Amino acid sequence: MKILIADDSRVMRQIVVRTLRQAGFGDHDLIEAADGKQAFEMAKSENPDLVLSDWNMPEMTGIEVLRQLRAAGNDVKFGFVTSESTPEMKEQAEAAGALFFIVKPFSAERFDEVFAPILG
Amino acid sequence: MSVEVEVNESDLAEMVEQVWESYLDPEGINPLIPTYDENQPSEVHSSVSITGSWTGHIVYASSTEAARRAAAAFLAMEVDEVSEEDVSDVLGELANIVGGNVKAMLPPGALLSLPQVVLAPEATARFPNTERISGVYGVWDGEPVSISMWQSRSTDKEGAE
Repeated sequence: MKILIADDSRVMRQIVVRTLRQAGFGDHDLIEAADGKQAFEMAKSENPDLVLSDWNMPEMTGIEVLRQLRAAGNDVKFGFVTSESTPEMKEQAEAAGALFFIVKPFSAERFDEVFAPILG
Repeated sequence: MSVEVEVNESDLAEMVEQVWESYLDPEGINPLIPTYDENQPSEVHSSVSITGSWTGHIVYASSTEAARRAAAAFLAMEVDEVSEEDVSDVLGELANIVGGNVKAMLPPGALLSLPQVVLAPEATARFPNTERISGVYGVWDGEPVSISMWQSRSTDKEGAE
């Protein structure tokens, strides 16, 4: 499976990759996007099976990426990994079709719990 | 405290503890040991601003050595491999994580800024019209680290940028 990690923080992308490996998902093909627009483009051109996206990113926010993908008929599995989480954000995410909402800081156990059902 | 804040010192301590458990001390052998010394020295700091339902700043400050160790822990590398860019990015991320968690506890309508990183002591920062309302001060492996909340005295929503 191919997983797209979208976060403008290089450190956070690295931590997400490491945590995926720790949770046993390191064998998947992991690709990275450094802002929202890049995430949107790569979600279309690279056909990932899953997108893990930050919320606050330059160019396009994570929720904008998700909404535009859905508007373009793209049904990729999509969820958020973010340090910000409010009930309104979770509602917006769910309404837009997000599958999960992981709050930073996160653990390998949390990744396992969320991704095991999705990635098998 | 003149203005009601919904994030108190123990909330802040809990967030900081989660950061240590998740990234800086996953083995549980090197926790942040409280000193309760709000004047402890720092050499570098990072901050995020929150504007809206609460207006103020969240500041992460530490010694350079503690920042290098944090970068090494975050990036899974040795301390002597850590570059200045690594230190900057990790300091920014630390302020961002704590700031994001603080924001989550505030009433709706708060905006979080991108982090600012300054490789100079926290004492060089000047946040106009603010007062420190809460903080966690400690030593991590013998090095000073603090996380503090500065509230804008004004209730004016224009607030600080």
